[in-house]
Amino acid sequence: MDTKFNRRTFLKTSAAASAILPTFNILAEDKDGVIGPDDDQVNVAVIGYGAEGEILTDDLVKIPGIRVKAVCDIWEHRRKLARGRLKHLGHVVKVYEDYREMLDTEDKNIDAVVVATPDWMHAEHACYCLRKGKPVYCEKEMSNQLSRAREMVLAARETGLPLQIGHQRRSNPRYMHAINNVMRKNNVLGRITHAYGQWNRSVAPFTVVGEKIHIPIKTLQKYGYENMEQFLNWRWFAKYGGGPMVDLGSHQIDLFFWVWDCAPISVTAIGGNDYYNRQMNDNVMAIYEFKTKEGVVNRAFYQVLTTSSRGGFYEQFMGEQGYLTLSEIPARGNTAAPEPGYDWSKFVKMGILNDAKAPVALQVKRSSDASLDARVTKAAAGMPLPVDLLKPAHMPHLENFFLAVRRKDPKLLNCDAELAYESAVAVLAANRSVAEHRTVYFKPEEFKVPADAKHDPAKAAGEQPKA
Amino acid sequence: MKFTTIMMLLMAGAAMFAGAQEGKVTLNIVKPKPQFNGTPKDIRSPNLEPARNGKPRPPIEVPAGCDKVISKDCKVTSSDDEPIIGELAYITDGDKEHDAATYVEISPKLQWVQIDLGKEKEIYAACVWHYHGEPRVYRDVICQISNDPDFVDGVVTVFNNDHDNSAKLGKGKDKEYIETNEGRPFACNGTKGRYVRFYSAGNTSNEMNHYTEIEIYGRP
Repeated sequence: MDTKFNRRTFLKTSAAASAILPTFNILAEDKDGVIGPDDDQVNVAVIGYGAEGEILTDDLVKIPGIRVKAVCDIWEHRRKLARGRLKHLGHVVKVYEDYREMLDTEDKNIDAVVVATPDWMHAEHACYCLRKGKPVYCEKEMSNQLSRAREMVLAARETGLPLQIGHQRRSNPRYMHAINNVMRKNNVLGRITHAYGQWNRSVAPFTVVGEKIHIPIKTLQKYGYENMEQFLNWRWFAKYGGGPMVDLGSHQIDLFFWVWDCAPISVTAIGGNDYYNRQMNDNVMAIYEFKTKEGVVNRAFYQVLTTSSRGGFYEQFMGEQGYLTLSEIPARGNTAAPEPGYDWSKFVKMGILNDAKAPVALQVKRSSDASLDARVTKAAAGMPLPVDLLKPAHMPHLENFFLAVRRKDPKLLNCDAELAYESAVAVLAANRSVAEHRTVYFKPEEFKVPADAKHDPAKAAGEQPKA
Repeated sequence: MKFTTIMMLLMAGAAMFAGAQEGKVTLNIVKPKPQFNGTPKDIRSPNLEPARNGKPRPPIEVPAGCDKVISKDCKVTSSDDEPIIGELAYITDGDKEHDAATYVEISPKLQWVQIDLGKEKEIYAACVWHYHGEPRVYRDVICQISNDPDFVDGVVTVFNNDHDNSAKLGKGKDKEYIETNEGRPFACNGTKGRYVRFYSAGNTSNEMNHYTEIEIYGRP
């Protein structure tokens, strides 16, 4: 994994790639030919090796020049998994239960930190790392409390270090092409009056694990969890997370901001904990109104269900001239279609879209991280996008983070804390709308942390959820 | 006709009659609870079986009395004798439910686990559950039976979805499949052997190999 590339070659390659990505069909591009690394090795620590931390770490070790040096998790079982798996993947790591001990001990061995802990701890972990001088990649949602997300923005400003938030679609070349090129630059859909997003999942019981690998209750309580059930299912408890609306909706509602390049003016949401009777809503339906810079109002409907997987997860953008369906899994959404009377052949000639009959999959690669599938074409109706992602879904976002780290330039981030804070305001407000049975109206200034806002350690400490 | 020849014919006829009397039964495999969690990942395979949309797999018919699990608590060995998490014994402990404490993770790339049935058995079917906590596809799933613990002599391949022979054990005609709580049952048609070996080479979610449970069905 310590492949070294010449920095000059990398800079040229990445510049060329960034120029051609929006319009060029990269389907047949050789895996080794995509953006290469700087020649600097980056040593990384991971805080939180749960399911998401595992996914991110599996991706980290595939990025040339990245070395995982330490992993922190309060669960011994996961520390054992991290140490063993990484050893087999060529990374010798030290494992820690306490993140402060890891940061203090490994200070000189770590260049950057990936945070993948439950939402309620993001601010504490990210801010501590930033103030220790470490750039941070932090999973979304920034926090289940807006005041804590605000602390993260302030810590990033104060330190001037990269803080990337894990809205990974922001770095997905297919989403970048669809939104930046198809919708915004070339206005293929015309005015996009409406958008739709959904994330539906089947009924699922709480996660349980055998007692033989439980965390001792004293350890759980030391870190703020009452018991193993709450620790394993933290998303469903108000203290630790925001429920499915925040966990899943944060990805897709962020897209509405990106497409319309503005923040919403209101959200009206209904929902409830009707099925499971858990703390957080198990179903939410939310309507956002976005007022664009041109002064027109567009609307987006978002739903998250946890009792039916109908349709899975995808997003649709509906314009006066056509519509476009996207999903992180291309077989679930990867096409655009014109309204009657609109001829999009010119967009095919421009390489913006593929002809409906053209094959998407030009070749098939076999590996867990890069492959193409003839089913993409078969399953898709309409005109497929000519861009595909040949890597795991989170990998380009991590690569974008390390680009900013290596160049010491937070402006290179595709989703910094300031940007992610905007969607956090909107997403957290949906749960509030449900709870208060009313429309929540936003003021434009709510989406920005004031320029003169200062970090107040005493206040921040007071806002930290108590164990 | 000599007496011995007559006796042999009679015995053969009796055996055939007994076989016919024995009849066939449908293998009843007890399934664990479905346990898909988290976000599905992109699964792409040139050799994936068509979606069954909830339709069950064709039933496996076995001779009456040969539908018993004969692998319970049998010794398991592996190409990786130091699992990353879990224990090889989990593979035959009878617990096929998915949770973090019920599966074993072994090294990446092509690896095998091997069940020692104790003595040669007539094997009529097998079912393997790798990791069924999310939809994923394991690569190069191959099952072989032999009386040779080193699988050099007398090896019979009863399942093989290595369509491009990347495992170099021969090209298989079976399809890749998405892991679910149903596991992957397949017929072994009375193949005789003491050892049953399963190969895999990572999966579509990560590089690792996992086993929750393997059940071998045959004549006790």
